[in-house]
Amino acid sequence: MRISRRRFLATVGAGVTLGGAGCVGDDGATAGAGSEPDSSTGTSAASTATDRNDRPEPPTADSRLHLDYETGTLEEHIVSGGVPKDGIPAIDDPTFADTPPDGLAPDDPVFGVVRDGEAKAYPQYILVHHEIVNDTIAGDAVAVTYCPLTGTAQGFERGPVEFGVSGRLVNSNLTMYDRGTDSWWPQMLATAIKGPLTGESLREFRVTWTTWSHWSSVYPETRILTEDTGFSRRYGVDPYGQYNEKRGYYSSTRTLFEPLHGDSRAHPKVVVIGTRTETGALAFDKETLLNQGVLTGRIDDTPYVAIADTDLASGYVYANPESMSVAASDDGYMIDGTAYDADSLPLDRTLSFDAMWFAWAGFYPGSGYVN
Amino acid sequence: MSTDGSTHKTGAAASIQRLFRNTGVAVSGALSRRDGQVFLGVFGVAYFLLYLAGLRHLGFGPPAYEISVVSDPLTRAFRQVGPFQWEPVALVVVGPVELLVAPLNMLLGGVLAALVGLNLAVSVVAWRGPAACRLGSGAGVVSGLPGLLSGFACCGPTILLVVGVQASAGLLSLFQWLLPLTVVALLGTLLWVGSRVETVRQVP
Repeated sequence: MRISRRRFLATVGAGVTLGGAGCVGDDGATAGAGSEPDSSTGTSAASTATDRNDRPEPPTADSRLHLDYETGTLEEHIVSGGVPKDGIPAIDDPTFADTPPDGLAPDDPVFGVVRDGEAKAYPQYILVHHEIVNDTIAGDAVAVTYCPLTGTAQGFERGPVEFGVSGRLVNSNLTMYDRGTDSWWPQMLATAIKGPLTGESLREFRVTWTTWSHWSSVYPETRILTEDTGFSRRYGVDPYGQYNEKRGYYSSTRTLFEPLHGDSRAHPKVVVIGTRTETGALAFDKETLLNQGVLTGRIDDTPYVAIADTDLASGYVYANPESMSVAASDDGYMIDGTAYDADSLPLDRTLSFDAMWFAWAGFYPGSGYVN
Repeated sequence: MSTDGSTHKTGAAASIQRLFRNTGVAVSGALSRRDGQVFLGVFGVAYFLLYLAGLRHLGFGPPAYEISVVSDPLTRAFRQVGPFQWEPVALVVVGPVELLVAPLNMLLGGVLAALVGLNLAVSVVAWRGPAACRLGSGAGVVSGLPGLLSGFACCGPTILLVVGVQASAGLLSLFQWLLPLTVVALLGTLLWVGSRVETVRQVP
């Protein structure tokens, strides 16, 4: 008989009757919207949260991220996801281990975070039941979030407050609420569309969507979230399908909720690596990027370049206003005769994350799509 | 008029009383028979298991043996996580079978299962009886379907994916009413059976 290792659980004998049943900044302290703090060094320390009406608030960015809709329009499109507030419970007291849970296969997706040299992995199969982890990494209070319906994993500074699952959706996307001001934050937008902080954008950091085998190879010292979440769940069961191999909702052309904007440029569930700044948004086809190594696009008149990271089966997006030539080589990526790693080009990196195409196009109908 | 009205009310009360009494007679009569007991047991248990499977509280997983309980089960048990759904407080794994124990959902499932079982037991016994009171034996099962569907409403209305229908505010509201609708439908069919029994007793 295997006894559960769950710290929060009281293990009982088998014979016991149950008694009832989100610029690589110079100093990283004031990261603006759309810029990406250096996640590997964790220099984006959260600002001290201010108190408006004595309510604790999550730290916000200096400038607002681009939106293709007015916040009022977005608010009008909030729909019920069929569960009440916190009906999907965030993990507020996460525990980590040095070894992966028994239920994690090498090719299963994990969401990886590195801050100030501390690496953590969050298995998709656990987060599908919780969507938000209120965590502390390298001393910084953060929220690692995942929306199964839009295929997005994103990280936010949370300061003195926690985030919870509101039970509402916009464009199929997880709408978080902060437990300080009760403002509502669609995850992909990272911008409040309802409540006292409406129009403010959260401070974001990079979350890498990869597989356990890739992540643990690059970060062998990583710690990984365990099933000791404080809740009883059948973690082997994904209510929407599976990723390894893709089935169900994750591969179907169907969406559960009508997108804000329909776009037929790609299969609704194709994975794009999207980036948005203060002025616009841009998406790169992930599979094409991983095959070709380098893709280029524009937000308004500014050129951007996407770079594949084959070690993590992921990608990075950089602003490239000088239109410098970037070429993949055996030594890395060549710029002016010098080779660079994918994550350290001498350009301003913008925050990017994986998303299902229908969700990206729904929120950012004006976005370019590079494939 | 007041006399007529009083007489009418008395008549209605008597009719309702007679309906409940006859339903009681029908239930006890059905349960006194072996086939009635079998139908109650088999279909009641089957419905209960289907209800838990619909909630995804019951299913198969990697083989193991484990019983684990959350740290504050009494408080957690009353935390609502969806329409007519409450927080599981324990996980029981026996071999490949996994069961999440949400006491209030098990209680609710038990009540629904009993109603479904009783409907079927009475319907089948009546169907096997005199021609005058033959009833569709599927009546009880059909009335229990909304309760099963309500189980799939957790974690977003994923059953709509199977059906191929996009969620809308109206559909989601409907999901919230599936379970109460089930209870009303099951009680309704049971009383309907009671009314049929009366016919039998009056026709020699």
